[in-house]
Amino acid sequence: MSGGNGSKDVPTLSATGIEAGYDRHQVLHGITFESRDGVTCIFGPNGSGKSTFLKTLNGIVPVWDGTVTYGDVDLTGAKPEEIVTHGIATLPQGGGIFGSLSVEENLEVGAFTVDDAAAIGDRKAEVLEVFPALEDKLGQKARDLSGGQQMMVSLGRAMMTGADTFLLDEPSAGLAPRLVDDAFGLIERLVDRGAQVVLIEQNVRAALRLADYVYILAEGEVQFNGPPEDLSEEDELMELYLGL
Amino acid sequence: MSGPVPSLDRLPGDPRYWYAGLAVLLVAWPLLFGAFWARIGLGALMWIGLAQSWNMIGGYAGYLDFGHGAYFGIGAFAAGIAMAQFGYPFLVGFGLAIVVSSIVSYLVAVPTLRLTGAYFAIATWAFAESIKQTALVTGITGGTFGLSLPRSPDTFVGVPVPFAISETFFYYAMLVLCLATMALTYYLFERHEFGYRVKALRDDQDAAESLGIDTTRVKRQVYVLSCVVAAVFGSVHAWYIVYIHPNDVLAPIITDRMVIMALLGGLGTLTGPVAGGLLVFLLERLSSVFLGSTTFYLPLIGVLIMVTVLFAPSGIIGILRGEVDRDDVRKNVKELGEKFDLL
Repeated sequence: MSGGNGSKDVPTLSATGIEAGYDRHQVLHGITFESRDGVTCIFGPNGSGKSTFLKTLNGIVPVWDGTVTYGDVDLTGAKPEEIVTHGIATLPQGGGIFGSLSVEENLEVGAFTVDDAAAIGDRKAEVLEVFPALEDKLGQKARDLSGGQQMMVSLGRAMMTGADTFLLDEPSAGLAPRLVDDAFGLIERLVDRGAQVVLIEQNVRAALRLADYVYILAEGEVQFNGPPEDLSEEDELMELYLGL
Repeated sequence: MSGPVPSLDRLPGDPRYWYAGLAVLLVAWPLLFGAFWARIGLGALMWIGLAQSWNMIGGYAGYLDFGHGAYFGIGAFAAGIAMAQFGYPFLVGFGLAIVVSSIVSYLVAVPTLRLTGAYFAIATWAFAESIKQTALVTGITGGTFGLSLPRSPDTFVGVPVPFAISETFFYYAMLVLCLATMALTYYLFERHEFGYRVKALRDDQDAAESLGIDTTRVKRQVYVLSCVVAAVFGSVHAWYIVYIHPNDVLAPIITDRMVIMALLGGLGTLTGPVAGGLLVFLLERLSSVFLGSTTFYLPLIGVLIMVTVLFAPSGIIGILRGEVDRDDVRKNVKELGEKFDLL
């Protein structure tokens, strides 16, 4: 396990009794969640509400009931653009690359909420230190990069916001199987720098190697939560929800 | 960042000479070629500007606005009403066009920009149609009779107007507006941080929001800006054309033209609307002058659009920049051939 050897003290992102949905269709029925140091994984079958839950954490889907807090800041009902200023960055499914912008411009968009030019420069240097492969690609359009490189742009762009907590929505989706390990390697690099990661993943096997804590959602409710070691004892649960 | 006008930079020799030559040609155009070509030139400049205004929302922001022509008409009627109904000078009408189009476009933006894709297109199209129908039945717009603007005097705020109010005068008016629109687009969309926000929201709205971009606000800003630009051209057009009618200045073909020009030239590029605007406008004028009708040009445009969408989605500018992949074209041709059993 990667276990955040965090030099920084990252606040806990917690959600209590979250109910949410689309129009009148309720998807989440009272989810209580707490992020841990390192990687907190959220697993569950299709339609279990994983993505919706992640979107309540970053403000894209409004919460009907319940509260979201980050450390001692109440984020319930905050807009996505406010939440990012508190240090939570999201990587949407597929990375959310701005394909028509160059790699450098993508990184600059990540720093829109940052006013301090010196801090922006430092962070850009940090991104290139973590993902040196991007150095030569700065002037290229992001859409012309390979899948793995796009993921670096996406992670790097999230780092530019200055976030300590990263919400990742299925980063391995759409990547060639042999790239999945590389992708998780990139996430590990973030964690090694003291970041906290909340990870939604279909590829349970690969993600479990990274997980420090696991939640399993099904039908909009938490079915299991605990360290990954405990999960191996829950054979039935594993088979039922994760197909392992 | 890449240069703004790659096509000129690529010509042999120092590009500065080409720019200088272009500038001289633009300024000397009506003096060299007379009233007929001045009229052609001012039409081309107006359509380039209109295509660029559509390109802001449709190309850069990716919101397919099928009601954009309404703002051209709103601008025309704002100027027309100020001048014909109240006897104000053109400048008042010009200001009114800006004020009215900002207010109307903001009111339209709030509900419709929640929609995307085809739904946004349909909503804006319906809005434009309702504006046209309203203009046809209200008194202040002249209803079905249209509105005749007073012929402008040869002085403007007391100062004699050079070339009086002639083709030459309007050529220069459109030249100034068109260049201002180009400069504004270049600065805001290609150089300023605002352009990044717009392109980010087009490429991936959720990602843009999660990075702290207030996408609702940015969308409204682009929409209002693009509508005001269209209205400004509309107001000058009314002043020039002297007689305006809802069936002309609020015709759906106005929107269609802007869309076609931007699409053919290259969506979301600075120079695309220039290339597309020139091509479509000149095709229409030439077929009207030499064939006596514009019937022929419509199917031709149809074919051009099909070819563009299928083989060169990045438009004329994409072809000039070498962005069109031969293999893609070959693949598309092959698929099409198989579909229709041609090969």
